[in-house]
Amino acid sequence: MPELSCPVCGGTMAVPEDALAGELFEHGECGAQLELIVDDSGSMSLKMAEEVAEDWGE
Amino acid sequence: MNIGLAYDMARFEEKALLQAARRLGHTVSLIHVPNKEFWVTKPDSMSYDFIFQRCVSYYRAVSSTIVFERNNIPVVNSLNVIRDCEDKLLTTARLSAAGVDVPDTAVAFRREPALNASRRLGYPVVVKPIYGSWGRMIARAPDEETLQDIIELRENMQSPYIKIHYLQRYVDKPGRDIRAYYVWGDVPVAIYRVSGNWKTNTALGGKAEPAPITDELREIVIKSGEALGGGVLGIDLMESPDGRLLVSEINAIVEFRNTVRATGYDLAGKIVEETVRVMRR
Repeated sequence: MPELSCPVCGGTMAVPEDALAGELFEHGECGAQLELIVDDSGSMSLKMAEEVAEDWGE
Repeated sequence: MNIGLAYDMARFEEKALLQAARRLGHTVSLIHVPNKEFWVTKPDSMSYDFIFQRCVSYYRAVSSTIVFERNNIPVVNSLNVIRDCEDKLLTTARLSAAGVDVPDTAVAFRREPALNASRRLGYPVVVKPIYGSWGRMIARAPDEETLQDIIELRENMQSPYIKIHYLQRYVDKPGRDIRAYYVWGDVPVAIYRVSGNWKTNTALGGKAEPAPITDELREIVIKSGEALGGGVLGIDLMESPDGRLLVSEINAIVEFRNTVRATGYDLAGKIVEETVRVMRR
């Protein structure tokens, strides 16, 4: 599993190999909600997840 | 088939659709909408047979669907269906015109006409924003004094759509409502959403339990789905004290995690199979 850096606390977080871009994870160490980013080269990183917006829903 | 899966957040539903499509032998290309650029004026070389639209953000869903349809790719659901279902006023108008039972509903743009309409509806009344989901910004007024307070709050909010007062007679539900799924003319599964809260949305803690699909439910759901243009829909119904089933909302980018948990039904597989069948026609 890739070990990625948490953008909030700087700790590391393991992400499953088959995780998808846009998948959300909670960092166990600091509790941050993080979104997986995958760039065109397939490189993975984490960013803080978006806040729920007014137009979110079904 | 070559299926595109357009999404912004990868939730249970998106992963379930991806896995079901691959299991059924289809090729799936992931379209992570926030990270892509979409050209409107240059035809794109997209080669999908169809695209499932799964963005949780309504505006991302609509905007990316406009571009996909510009490139002549069928989208499930289509732009018209997504747009019409997002607007509660338009949904209610379409359903009512099609002869589907809905709660008594009025719309007003200023305080006095809103109060007049509510007196005629009879209290309690429910005030909803015409856009929005997961039970957000929906308020119940047991009497005129409370409604005046709610309208005052709404009149002081910035968004112009909040100043459209969509008013419904409150339906005294039996501690639950029904979420039924419409999949290309079929009604494969339904749940009760049980809650002590008058808002029964599972997003607000409503508990999902399997619900029987009666002939009456099936007929109403099919009629409702067809009134809004078909495809794959989540249809919310309330059991009124006089024994009728009233359709309250229709959702065009359905969530089904809690339905699968409660029923064990493979709804993602059903959605993929039926959509492929329709697209091959």
